[in-house]
Amino acid sequence: MPAKKSIRVTKAQQQIVKTPFDQTVFLEGAAGTGKTTVGTRRIRYMFEEKVAPDSILILVPQKALALPYYDELKRKKTAGSQVGVMTIGSLSQQMVDLFWPLVAEEAGFKHPMKRPHFLSLELVQYYMHKIIGPEIDRNGYFNSVTINRNRLFSQIVDNLNKASVVGIPYQEVGERLKSAWQGDETQKHVYDDAQRCMTRFREFCLENNLLDFSLQVHVFIDYLWPMEAPRHYLLNKFRHLIVDNSEEDNPVTHAMLGDWLPQCDSALIIYDTDAGYRRFLGADADDAYRLKAHCDTHAMLDRHFTMSDDMTAFAVEMAETLHHPLEGVKVKRKADALAAIEFPESIRYHPQMVDAVVERIAALIYDEGVPTSEIVVIAPFMSDALRFALMTRLEAYDVPARSHRPSRALREEPAALALMTLAKLAHPAWQMRPTTFDVAHALTTAISDLDMVRARLLVDVLYKKGQLAAFDNIRNAEIQQRITFELGERYDMLRQWIDEYQQEMSPQLDFFWSRLFGELLSRNGYGFHDDFDATRTAANLIDSARHFRQIIGSIDPDAPLAKDYVEMVQRGILADAYLDWQLEDTESVLLTPAYTFLMSNRAVDYQFWINVGSPGWATRLYQPLTHPYILSLQWEQGRKWGDEDELAANQDALYRLVLGLIRRCRERIYLGFSELGEQGYEQRGELLMAIQGMLRRRALEEA
Amino acid sequence: MNLLGDFTFSQSSLQDDVDCPRRFELRYLKRVRYPAPETQDMLEFEQLMQHGADFHRLIHQYILGIPTELLTPFADEAPLNLWWRHFLADGLRDVPDEKRLPEMTLIAPLGDYRLLAKYDLLAITPGERAVIMDWKTSRNLPKREWLAAKLQTRVYRYVLALAGDELNDGAAIPPDAIEMRYWYAEHNRVISFPYSEAQFAEDERYLLSLIAEIEERDIFPLTTDDRRCRFCTYRTLCGRGNEAGLLDEYETDFEITLADDFDIDLDQIAEIEF
Repeated sequence: MPAKKSIRVTKAQQQIVKTPFDQTVFLEGAAGTGKTTVGTRRIRYMFEEKVAPDSILILVPQKALALPYYDELKRKKTAGSQVGVMTIGSLSQQMVDLFWPLVAEEAGFKHPMKRPHFLSLELVQYYMHKIIGPEIDRNGYFNSVTINRNRLFSQIVDNLNKASVVGIPYQEVGERLKSAWQGDETQKHVYDDAQRCMTRFREFCLENNLLDFSLQVHVFIDYLWPMEAPRHYLLNKFRHLIVDNSEEDNPVTHAMLGDWLPQCDSALIIYDTDAGYRRFLGADADDAYRLKAHCDTHAMLDRHFTMSDDMTAFAVEMAETLHHPLEGVKVKRKADALAAIEFPESIRYHPQMVDAVVERIAALIYDEGVPTSEIVVIAPFMSDALRFALMTRLEAYDVPARSHRPSRALREEPAALALMTLAKLAHPAWQMRPTTFDVAHALTTAISDLDMVRARLLVDVLYKKGQLAAFDNIRNAEIQQRITFELGERYDMLRQWIDEYQQEMSPQLDFFWSRLFGELLSRNGYGFHDDFDATRTAANLIDSARHFRQIIGSIDPDAPLAKDYVEMVQRGILADAYLDWQLEDTESVLLTPAYTFLMSNRAVDYQFWINVGSPGWATRLYQPLTHPYILSLQWEQGRKWGDEDELAANQDALYRLVLGLIRRCRERIYLGFSELGEQGYEQRGELLMAIQGMLRRRALEEA
Repeated sequence: MNLLGDFTFSQSSLQDDVDCPRRFELRYLKRVRYPAPETQDMLEFEQLMQHGADFHRLIHQYILGIPTELLTPFADEAPLNLWWRHFLADGLRDVPDEKRLPEMTLIAPLGDYRLLAKYDLLAITPGERAVIMDWKTSRNLPKREWLAAKLQTRVYRYVLALAGDELNDGAAIPPDAIEMRYWYAEHNRVISFPYSEAQFAEDERYLLSLIAEIEERDIFPLTTDDRRCRFCTYRTLCGRGNEAGLLDEYETDFEITLADDFDIDLDQIAEIEF
C-alpha cells in the first residue's frame, strides 16, 4: 500500500482548527477546498488539548463519508476514551434500542413490553412482498403503472423514509403528491394507492414492534429527542459536535442540530457548496445552510487544493455554460480549460468508445505510470452490460478493476448460488428441485478440482428426480475414469452428508448451511476450504438467513422460514443488498455510477466520463410513486409541478453533478462519447449539449 | 513485521493469540470469515448468547435511570428472570455510585499499537477508587486462578490505569485504587481482583512481550491444546477435525463470552443506507 500523502494546512484552515472549545463554527466551501481536512485536524487538536474523546460526536450523512475521520482516529496513540461516529440512522437505532421502555407505548407500538425488532432493508422488502403484495393484488392498486414489484416497493419505502426525514406526517404524503400533480386523474389514483400501502405497512410495523429506517427516525426525533431523559443523556454525553457534509443530511437532522448547537460546548458544521446529491434520499442543502444562523462563527474556504489550473479553468467554463457562473474563482492566465479534457474524434458505435476508453486507460498506466487507484470510470448509470464490457476489456490489458456498487448482490455470487442449490437438494419437501445446470454448477463450487465438463457428466448420469445417486451407479468405466475416483469419492461424501442430514433435518436454514460448511465444504478437497472469498460469501449468506429467521420467526413462529428465505432470495428480495465495500482492493481502476463516486467524497487524478451523450446525466429516474422535490421542505404546498420545474431541476442537478465531478479531479477528464449509445440510439443528452456549447463558445472566442 | 501501525489489540485478540497464534492470524490479520458452528448445540448456544446480550442491555438501561418497573417485564423468561433478580438484589452492592459509566470503551497505547478495553461498567469515586464490573452469564462458575490468568483480567485493569484520567478529574488512577470484579449472574457471586503497581508493571511487561512475539513471528503455530479446536470455527482449515464439540464441554473447559471485537468493527463499517 503506498504511503498516504501528508497534507499541509493553510493558516486559514489552522485558524478554524484552533477555534476555542466553547464556540460553534459554520464552515462552508466547495469540494476540494480542504474542509474535511479541517474536520480531521480539529479532532487531532482536540486530542492534543485533552478534550475527552467520548464527548465528541462525528455525525455524517452516511458511514462512507466518515472514512477520513476513522483514518484520523486510528492514528491516535494517546490514552483515552472513544469518539462517537454516527449517522442519523445509527443514532436513532441506538437511542430507540436503549430507551425503548420509555417510549414504546406512547409511540403506538402494540407490544410495548416486548423488545423491538430493527428491520434491515432486505427485511423491509420481504414484508412489503408479504403484507403489501397481496393488498395490491386484491385491490388492483397501481394498475396504470408498469414497473416491477421491487421498484414499486422501493418507492413506497422511499415515501415513508422521506416523510420521516423531512418531517412530514406520513399520512400526508399522498395528498402532497396529488396537490402538485397537474396531469390526468389516473396518476392521482396511483398516489392514493401508494398512501394506502404506506399506511398499511406502518400499521403492520406498529402491530409487531418492527422498526424500519423511517420508524426508527420518527420515534427518535418525535418522541425521544423531546423527552427529558434521552435528550439529557445525549446532550450530556456529546459536548462537542463535528458534522461533515451537512448539506447531504436531512431536515429532521438539521432541526435536531439547530436545537443541539446552543447547548453543546463546541461544534464544527461543515457545508459543501453546490452539492446536495442525496436529494432523492431526502437531503436538503438549503435547509442545512440555515444552521449557519445557529453558529457563533462563520468561515469559508475558497482555495482549491485538488484541481490543476487547467481543471479550474474547465470548471469555470462549464459553470458558465450551465448558467451558474462561479463567483470569485480566479483562472490563471496560462490556464487552458481544453487542456483539462480529452474529447476524442467522432466515434460511431458504443463498443468502439468502450475500446477507446480502455486503450487510453492502459496507456496511462503502462506508458505514463499512473497508479490504477488514480483512475475512475464514471457513468450516469453503470449497467451490468457496461460493467461487463469494461471489466473484460480491462482484464485483457491486465488492468485490475473494481466495480463500485454501494451493495453487492449476494445471491449472484457463485458460492451463494451453490449453497442455495445444495439447500434445495437437501430439502425435497420444499418442491424446489434444482435444474441439472444448477446442480452441476453447485458441484463445481463445492468440490475442488471438479470442472464443469466433469460435473455435467456426473449430473447427467447421477441426478434423477431431484436425488443424487452414488458414484458407483455410473456403469461406464470410461466415464468414471474421466471424472476420476478421487473426485467421485468427494462427490459421494457430499451426497452421504445430505442423506444423513435428511434423517434429522434442522428447521434453521442458517444452521444447515453452517454445518454443511463446517463439516464438509471447508475440508481439504472441497471448494470452500481455503477460498476466502467463498467463505466470506457463505458467512454473509448465513448471517442474512439467521437475521431473517430471528426476526420473522419471532413474529410468526409457524412460518416455513427456510423455504421462504430461499424463495425470497430467488425472487431478488433477500440477499440482494449486502455491503462489503471495505474489503475492496483499492489498488485498481474504479468503475462507478456518478453519484456513488460523489458520495465517496474523494478525488482522483484521472476521470473517464462514459456515455456523455446519455440523457441520464441530467434526467431523474422514473419514479411514479414518489417525488424528491415535492416531498421536501422547500416545496410550496399546493403549487403544481410543471415542465419548467422539471427543466430547472434537471439543469440544477446537472450543474451540481458536473461541478462536483470536476472538483474531484486533479489532472484530466476523458469524455467518452459515441454517436449511438448503449441501446443503439443517437445520443443528444444535456451534458453533451453543454460540452459542445462550451467548445463552440471557445472556438468563437479564439476566432 | 506482521502488523500495521494502526492495529488495535483487545483482550479477545490477545487471548486468541495466547490460546492459538494461528487463530489470531486468521481472525485478526487475515480477517478470514469461516462460518462453521462453534458448538454442536447451535440453537442453545445462540440462545445463551442472546440472553447474555439482553441482560447486558437491561443493566445498561437500569444504570441510565430507566425505572425498574419498566425494565422487569423484559426479563420475564428463564434464565434472564433469575439473573435480573440477582442483579437487583446484589449486582451493584458496594459499587461506587459517584460516577457510573456503562458500556465504556477506553484505548491505551501499547508499544507502537493501541490496546482497547470495552467495559460493562466503570464505577468511580474520583480520587479514591475505581471498580470495573464485568457481568458474566455463563452457567459454570470458573476457578479464581483461571480468571486471574485470563487476558481480560490483565488488560482491563491495565488500560484503566493508563487511560482513566479523563474519568478521574484528570488525574491518573493509581493501580492500587483499581479493582476488577466479575459478577456471575447465575450464581450471584463476585470474584474480585485488586490491582497493584507491581501487577501493573508485570502486565505491561507481559503485554509488550506478547506483541513483540506477534511482530516477529514468521509462522503462526497451531495451539498444542487441541481441545480448543472443537470450539473453533477454523478447525477444518487447520486440519483439526470436522465436527464441533458439545456445549456442555465448552462450558466446562472454557467460558462463553460476548464478542469483544470492537477493533474489527472499526474497520467493518457497514450500514445499509436507505
